[in-house]
Amino acid sequence: MTFVPLTRLPWRRAITHQHSLPRHWVDPFSLTQRIDAWRRWLAGQPAGHWLLYRRHPGEFCAALAALWESGRVAVLPADDRPETLARLAAELDGTLPETPDEQSANHPTTPAYPESLNPSATAVVLYTSGSTGDPIRLAKRFDQLDAELAAHAELWPLADGCIISQVSHQHIYGLLTGVLHPLGTGAPFCGDECRYPEVLAARLQEAGDAGLAPVVVSSPAQLSRLPEHLSWHDLPRPRRVFSSGAPLAAEHAQRTESLLHAPVIEIYGSTETGGIAQRRQTQGSTWQALPGVELSIMDGSLTLRSPFLEDPQSGWQQPDRVAPATAGFELLGRVDRLVKIAGKRVSLDHIELSLTALPEVSEARCIDLGRTDGRLGAVVTLHDERMPHRHDTRHELIQRLRTHLSHHLERVAIPRYWRFVDALPSNAQGKLDRSLVDRLFADLDDNKAPRWLGERRPDPATCLLTLEVPERLVFLEGHFEEYPLVPGVVMVQWAIELANDSFGETGEFQGIERLKFQRVLRPGSRFTLQLTRRDDGIAFAIDSHEGRHCAGQVRLLTRHGGGHG
Amino acid sequence: MNQTCDLTLELKRLIIDTLELEDITPSDIDPEAPLFGDGLGLDSIDALELGLALQKHYGIKLDAEAEETRHHFSNLNALHSLVEARRVN
Repeated sequence: MTFVPLTRLPWRRAITHQHSLPRHWVDPFSLTQRIDAWRRWLAGQPAGHWLLYRRHPGEFCAALAALWESGRVAVLPADDRPETLARLAAELDGTLPETPDEQSANHPTTPAYPESLNPSATAVVLYTSGSTGDPIRLAKRFDQLDAELAAHAELWPLADGCIISQVSHQHIYGLLTGVLHPLGTGAPFCGDECRYPEVLAARLQEAGDAGLAPVVVSSPAQLSRLPEHLSWHDLPRPRRVFSSGAPLAAEHAQRTESLLHAPVIEIYGSTETGGIAQRRQTQGSTWQALPGVELSIMDGSLTLRSPFLEDPQSGWQQPDRVAPATAGFELLGRVDRLVKIAGKRVSLDHIELSLTALPEVSEARCIDLGRTDGRLGAVVTLHDERMPHRHDTRHELIQRLRTHLSHHLERVAIPRYWRFVDALPSNAQGKLDRSLVDRLFADLDDNKAPRWLGERRPDPATCLLTLEVPERLVFLEGHFEEYPLVPGVVMVQWAIELANDSFGETGEFQGIERLKFQRVLRPGSRFTLQLTRRDDGIAFAIDSHEGRHCAGQVRLLTRHGGGHG
Repeated sequence: MNQTCDLTLELKRLIIDTLELEDITPSDIDPEAPLFGDGLGLDSIDALELGLALQKHYGIKLDAEAEETRHHFSNLNALHSLVEARRVN
């Protein structure tokens, strides 16, 4: 299996595989029927820019190939929120329906596919997902994508391999590494539900059973949360594990390598530049340029020339601070992360570095929340045993962090709002984006909500949320002046509301069963809310370090079905 | 006595709400401990905010730069005395 550029339509090569993978794997050579169905559907449609969002990698590739073969441009939104899709659809020439079937009878003959695609034509339009500001729109030509895919094929050939992707292909890293590289090499691939660790484990086994070497495409979001209870050691070892989207903490790189028994390769880059450099952190923190990428470092900033850039000839200034190192460079942080507080310039990187210098802090993100008071927020990952579980321990911890920072910063620059998390929350692209930041700090402006500190989905029917009772929760008022606590009805209300957020519309309230209050929940307490989807509603349980506080089942009437008794 | 208690609690709540001290409850504020610097850890912006709040709630006008103001803001008891002596409503 050798690499074929996208411009030469690798998905049209008539080769059949011998492997015996289950159906949720995508065989790049089995897509032609689906591509042809889309070609017939598209035959009567306008040319130009088309909106494409598909979770399933096979469905995504078939629609993408059909757009390309018919000379269209695929516009890939970063998320599928209705507002995002509606806003983009209004600017574009069309949006692909769920399936191509309805109108295909009108065009019974499939248009012939071209021999090759124009390398200088636009292939995709992508959107960045920064933690601040609006997303930026970026177009990529076929020659840019092909140059980068050729570099991947040279460094990390996929011969006798297959891809298990835990990241979204709507973003440049997941697009290249998770779907286009295997598509161009003819290697089987899978994605979507692979983001769950249990599913990842099952796919590794399937790859091994089929005699293929699995390659895992992942991000710090997943790797920092790899559960230790799964028997990774008994599973086929991945050939390698990729991580990108954000820096991977050294301890998480180390832990992943020892759990999965595979090298963890990090790719550094951005939507604008594509990949810039790579490293294997367990062997050194220095980044090495990808083939074809020329770097120059001046005054601590990075300039590059790269065939993956829109203009390969002119230098691109990357907004990161770097230091030269033997055969590469060290990454020090962003250059543009300066904010003004009370007229003083404050470096967010400086605050983060001061925080991570403390032994109990493993990661820290300092954020300009854009509030009228101008105060900063901090999201801090702590080692387990240091995590505050009650008002007094949280209060003491914040005092300690503030005192520590007061030696390094002016008082006004010390973050006022603190969120202590087990792991940094991240979106499908592995980033702590603005909507997650808003969620972490939402209780500042909503005195009825619990403080959200992250959530995990061990499987599609279960959601585990980490929450805290804000000291200024409105429901505490008047509820025992000397001994404030969260009323039971509020706990149930939270369970129902958060189930709606996690699972989508869950239905009309029908009643509560097996409700048990076992322990009071006090302001400042950190707790978990476990939500499980049932046929007739949801089950929930609220637990903390002290033990179980409350559990029950809520019956809900779904719109489609009836009550299930 | 009861009124003193009420005003103390009221002032603690005023400080917490005005300055968005989300991790602090009234019982965390020691009436003798400094409000600024090492005690509660308030800063120069907080002083301005607090001055505005005192004006709004009690009609007390303070000169933020004056030495006298620094004394009134030294701890909660000093603030209590100020409000008791100078409130206009």
